[in-house]
Amino acid sequence: MPKVKINDIEVDVPAGTNMIEAAATAGVEIPHYCYHPNLSIAGNCRMCLVDIVGGRAPEIACNMVAREGLAIRTDTPNVKKMRQSVMEFLLVNHPLDCPICDQSGECRLQDYYMDHGDYDSRGVEEKVSKQKRQDIGDKIVLDAERCVQCSRCVRFGDEVTGTGDLRLMNRSDHTEIGMFPGERLTHHYQGNLADICPVGALTNKDFRFQRRVWYLRETASVCNGCATGCNVQVCHQEGEVFRYLPRRNDAVNKSWMCDHGRDLVPGIAGLERVLRSRVDGCSVDTEAALGALTTRLKSAKSVGVVLGSQATNEANWALLQLVRKNLPGARLYAATGNDPGSVEYADTLLVDADKNPNNAGLALLASLDGRVGSTAELGSALGSLDLLVVLEDDVIGRLKGHGRPAALAYFGVSKNATSAAADVLIPVCHTVEMDGSYVNRQGRVQRIRRAVNAAGDAVPAWLVLERLGGKLGHAPGTGMVAAAFNAMAKAVPAMKGMDFKALGDAGLQLATDVPEVAAPDVPASPGATA
Amino acid sequence: MALPAARKLSQPVSGAMSLGESIYLVEMIKGLALTMTHIIKNIFDQDRFRTVEYPDVRKSMTERYRGAHRLLLRPDGKVKCVACMCCPTICPAKCITIIAGEDPNDPAEKFPVEFDIDMLRCIFCGFCVEACPKDAIRMDTRIYEINAYTRQAMIHNKSYMVDLMDGLKPPAEEFYRANPDSSPAGFSVDQPSVPVGQPAVNQVGGGV
Repeated sequence: MPKVKINDIEVDVPAGTNMIEAAATAGVEIPHYCYHPNLSIAGNCRMCLVDIVGGRAPEIACNMVAREGLAIRTDTPNVKKMRQSVMEFLLVNHPLDCPICDQSGECRLQDYYMDHGDYDSRGVEEKVSKQKRQDIGDKIVLDAERCVQCSRCVRFGDEVTGTGDLRLMNRSDHTEIGMFPGERLTHHYQGNLADICPVGALTNKDFRFQRRVWYLRETASVCNGCATGCNVQVCHQEGEVFRYLPRRNDAVNKSWMCDHGRDLVPGIAGLERVLRSRVDGCSVDTEAALGALTTRLKSAKSVGVVLGSQATNEANWALLQLVRKNLPGARLYAATGNDPGSVEYADTLLVDADKNPNNAGLALLASLDGRVGSTAELGSALGSLDLLVVLEDDVIGRLKGHGRPAALAYFGVSKNATSAAADVLIPVCHTVEMDGSYVNRQGRVQRIRRAVNAAGDAVPAWLVLERLGGKLGHAPGTGMVAAAFNAMAKAVPAMKGMDFKALGDAGLQLATDVPEVAAPDVPASPGATA
Repeated sequence: MALPAARKLSQPVSGAMSLGESIYLVEMIKGLALTMTHIIKNIFDQDRFRTVEYPDVRKSMTERYRGAHRLLLRPDGKVKCVACMCCPTICPAKCITIIAGEDPNDPAEKFPVEFDIDMLRCIFCGFCVEACPKDAIRMDTRIYEINAYTRQAMIHNKSYMVDLMDGLKPPAEEFYRANPDSSPAGFSVDQPSVPVGQPAVNQVGGGV
C-alpha cells in the first residue's frame, strides 16, 4: 500500500490507484472531464494537471499511479493558472446554450468555470459552429458544438458495449464527435452516453426539457426491471419520478444501466395501478378488505399461497410467516420466470432474461421450506383450490387455460388478469414507493428506498401482510421494515449476521451461493404461445 | 453613499405634554391652518393637485415602477423566452409556472408551452426580470390595476402577457372572456363578469 501526499495530507491507497482517486480519499477534489473510473485513461482534457513536489513539470493526475513517497500539490498558483487556461481553451468555441441545455445544473463546464475559470473572455473571433441537434439514436440527441472532445463516449462504445459507434473526427478546433454516415446507435445502453458526457453534447431524449435537474431530489434505490438489480438513483420532484440514473456499484453494474430500466420510469405514473381495495366488486378500504380476507381464510378448506418474485424479501417473509403460524394446511407455491408473451431480451453485460427483480430472494426463502411447489404444480392444482392468495404475481395471466380457484385474493401493484379475477384485491406499493430489499442474480442483498408517496391506498406489501397476520391471531409485527428484515436475517442461514442498516448503498453478498433459480417453467397450454 | 436622514414620522409618546399642547386650542388652530393652506393651494394652483380623480383620471407611474409582467417577442413573432426556468427558480413567491416544449423548426429548440404567473402570489420583487438571460420578461408596463373577480382570472398566462405594452389589451379577465381559447385552465366564461346588484367587495373568489 503506497503512501502518497496530496497537499501535505498523507493517505494510504491500494497499489495501482491513480492520483484523482487518491486525492478523493484525502478529501481533495481534482477537476477532470475525460477521466471516468470505469473507462480507460485518455488524458486528453488536461484539467487534472497537478504539480509534483520536487518534479520538473506538471503532470496529469488521472494517468499518475500512486507510488511510495509521491507528493503532489493542487493548491499552487501554477495549478490554478493551468486550470484557468484549460477552461479558457475548452470554452473558446463553446456556445452559450445554457438556457436551453439540459445539462445545465449538472454541467462540469458550469461547475468548473465557477470554481476554477472565472476569467474575462478574450474571444474576438467568431466561434466555430457545428451541427446542433443531431438525432443519432433512439435515446440520444447530439449537439456537436457543446462537445469538449473528452472521448468518454468513444471509449464507452469501444470498451463497454463493444459497438465502437461514436468517433472523433477532423482536426484542431474543427474536431467533433459523430457517427459514420447513415449509422445510428443501436445498442441498449445509450442512456449511459448522456450520463457520462460531462457537458451537454449528448443528452437524453426521454428527459429532454422535462425538468431542470436542480429541482430533482435523488433517492438511492435498485432498478426493478430485471434480476440484475442495477443500482440507481431515482430522481423525483413532488411525488413524480422523472428519471433513473445509474449509481456506481462496481460489484453489480459499475456505472451503467440499460435503456430498458430507464424505460420503466414513464410507466411508474402511467401504470394501470390498483388504487383501491376491492371485495367482490365493491370498493372498500384496506382494513375492511383485510377483514373479509381473514374470514375467508378461516373458512376455506384448501388454501394455496403464491409467493412473488417481484415482491420484496420482507413481503415474502411476512407471507411465509403467516402461512407457518396461521395456515398450517395451506400449500405454498413460488411462481417464477417471466410471464408468457412478455418481452424476452437479454445480453451478457447487464440485461438478464429474468424480468423479476427478486427471483433469487424468492428462491432463497422458498428453499427454507421443503413444501414450496413450482409454477407447474400450481398450474395443475389451480382448479382444486378453495382460496388462492397471490402476492404481486400475475398468476392467472401466467397460467392461462389452467382452471380457476374458487376464490382469489390478490396483493397487486398494477391491473392485470389476476387483479381482474380477484375476489379480494388489495393495492400494494411500487418499488419506488417503499423501503425493502431485493436479492439480485449474484446473491447480493440490496436495499430499495422510498422515493415518492404511495399511489392511492397502496401500502407496502410486507406491512399489509403483517397486519393480516395480526388479524389472524399472531402478534403483529413492529411495523418497521428494518425489524422485519432483521427478523428474517436471523432465521435465514445465508443472511447470517446481516442488518438492514448495514446493507447501506452497496448491498451485501449472501453467505452462501444463491439456490438454483428455477428456469421459466410455465407449462405449455393452448393459450400461451412461444 | 450616505442615505439622507429619514424624516421623523412621529414623536415617541413620552412624558408630559407642554403647556401649549395641553391647552389643545393652539394645536387645533395649527391643524386647521394646515388644512386651510391646502384648500387655498388647491384653489389657486390646480396643476399641482395631490390627488387624481380616479378612475376618470389615471395616475401615470414612473418608468422604473414594477407593474404587470409582459413577455417580449422576437422579430419573427415568437416569444423570446426559451423556458430556461431561471425565473421560477429565483421567484421567492413561487408564482411562475412554465411548461417547456421542443420546437423542431426553431434554432432556439426550446420554448414555453405554458407560461403562467399567479398575480395573487406575485410580490413584484422583479427578480424574474433580473434573472432572465434572454430579456424575455419585463415589468415595465406600469400597469398597476391587476384585479379580477375570480382567482383563475388572476393568473396571467402567455397569450395575455405577450405584448401587453401595445396598450390594447384589456384587464386579464376581460381578455380571457373575449378569448376563451387562450384563457388559463379552470377559467370559466359562464361566470358573470360583474355580478348584478352586489357590491364587488363581497365577491368570493372562484376557488381553487
